[in-house]
Amino acid sequence: MNAIEIFNLKRQFKTTIGVIKRQTKEVVAVDGISFDIQEGELFGLLGPNGAGKTTTIKMLTTLLIPSSGTATIMGLDVVKDAEKIRPRIGFIFGGERGLYWRLSGLDNLRYFATLYYVDVNIAKKKIPELIELVGLKGREKEKVEGYSRGMRQRLHIARALLHDPEVLFLDEPTMGLDPVGAREMRITIRDLQSAKKTILLTTHYMFEADALCERIAVINKGKIIALNTPEKLKHTVQDLSVVEIEIFGIPPKFLEKVRKLEFVDSVVVETHNQRQILLVHTPKGPSGISDIVEALNGLRLGKIVTREPTLEDAYVRLVGGNCNGQEN
Amino acid sequence: MAKRIKGTLRVIGISFEIELRRNLTDGFVLFGIVIQPLIVAFTALWMLKDKGPDYAIFIVVGSAMTGLWTALLFNSGNSIIGERWAGTLETLVGTPSSLRVIVFGKVLANITQSLFSMIGCYTLISLVMGYPLTLSRPVFFLISILLTVFAFVGFGVIIASLFILIPDFQRLQNTLEFPIYILCGFLFPIALLPGWTTPISYILSPYWAARALHGSALGALEINQIYISWVMLIFFSAVYIIGSSALYRLVLKRARVDATLNTTG
Repeated sequence: MNAIEIFNLKRQFKTTIGVIKRQTKEVVAVDGISFDIQEGELFGLLGPNGAGKTTTIKMLTTLLIPSSGTATIMGLDVVKDAEKIRPRIGFIFGGERGLYWRLSGLDNLRYFATLYYVDVNIAKKKIPELIELVGLKGREKEKVEGYSRGMRQRLHIARALLHDPEVLFLDEPTMGLDPVGAREMRITIRDLQSAKKTILLTTHYMFEADALCERIAVINKGKIIALNTPEKLKHTVQDLSVVEIEIFGIPPKFLEKVRKLEFVDSVVVETHNQRQILLVHTPKGPSGISDIVEALNGLRLGKIVTREPTLEDAYVRLVGGNCNGQEN
Repeated sequence: MAKRIKGTLRVIGISFEIELRRNLTDGFVLFGIVIQPLIVAFTALWMLKDKGPDYAIFIVVGSAMTGLWTALLFNSGNSIIGERWAGTLETLVGTPSSLRVIVFGKVLANITQSLFSMIGCYTLISLVMGYPLTLSRPVFFLISILLTVFAFVGFGVIIASLFILIPDFQRLQNTLEFPIYILCGFLFPIALLPGWTTPISYILSPYWAARALHGSALGALEINQIYISWVMLIFFSAVYIIGSSALYRLVLKRARVDATLNTTG
């Protein structure tokens, strides 16, 4: 049975521009998307910033009304049956907002347990269990304003699980977490999957989606541009190799020269402090290196390696990969 | 049914408690409920030192009510604005609890703390200044105070919905402050106003609260007139609370269409 069914879902926002001559402009955030998620499935929704991921989740969690199309959660309509859906779903939005910072973690959980109508006796047992599960034991009586970003994110997870929801919406749950915190979060998500929860996960981290999700939909400019298992998505770039070149400063004209090489599919620049990594996707593999190096003649180059494409490379190709990445 | 009522009372209780806890950790709110009323009470009683007791109690009750209205408008309004900025308004709407019931608990907390603060401040300052405030009908006054809480909470639930519906409503906060003082007869009788404003005063529950409080404090109203004020106060407060059910349905639908539950859309 499908836990989530989405058909032709669309959402527009109105914005105004100008001061004297004010004009109303319509922005399409989600543009007629359709997909289903089975009960107990961990489904990934990937896409660049502003692609429509959060808007989709907000419509599914009954916080936004779609402009058109339909969406159902466990057979219930997100517009007409919002009140029936809310006790059956849990959600967390990436970042640190959505909590009461001047209250303790424990008080936050007590408050939301009551708002989710969790029985007093059950809440008394459940809250300490969840505090332990998310690793906040010993810190639960401290104010949230003193928590680290990771602790707040974990408190969000505990809040979302208070009422034991059947369906979970996790919008970038590892955003801003340190590597250890992110790994612990992934273990928690895997445990939730083992507990047969239906999970819709959005993330920017491709390895995370690859490791966790059974199926992935890639959304760009409000439209679903690919939907498949991680393995099958990787197959879409099977014809390519990735040449990684370490560079210490690359002016735009050199980047353009590489892009213009006829055997180059796409180019991405990742910035790592003082150096850049140029990722060149090409079907030519190692034999193309000499031409690429020729195009970069005059620049200080470091290590050059060729590797097999990953899910991230498939994603870059799908969303139109001539972009500048930013990492540390 | 009993389970539902129990659940609703729990939601009111926890919202009341959480609002109080949040207020007690907010320096701005603490100033507004502890220091400011002390200054107002001291100033008012100092100015009235040589006036007759009747005039003094009228001003004391009136200024306490203006303080109560200001606290309601600013604390409850800012609380909704704060929820939106903190991203918790969306989290609250996403729970199965009615936002109207949550707001009821929050407004009740703000009114109760302000009321206790006002009563405490006036009593303290009048004792310190050796200027006892005498009430004509203390029992009627006490009942009127309890009903005043009901009147302000009903009114507050309606006002709070405007802060949910209109993100920029804060801009109108100051302009709303004085019309309510005047229309509800907090500081002077509404008989001094033009006739066409009287029907507006009559449909505002705080007007009936002010009438009952002034009437029982001064003894200027007959007992049956105090009863009438109570009945009208209860009637209009009940109308607000029952009517707010449909109002909140509309407001929340509009907020979900306009994406105004969160500052980030």
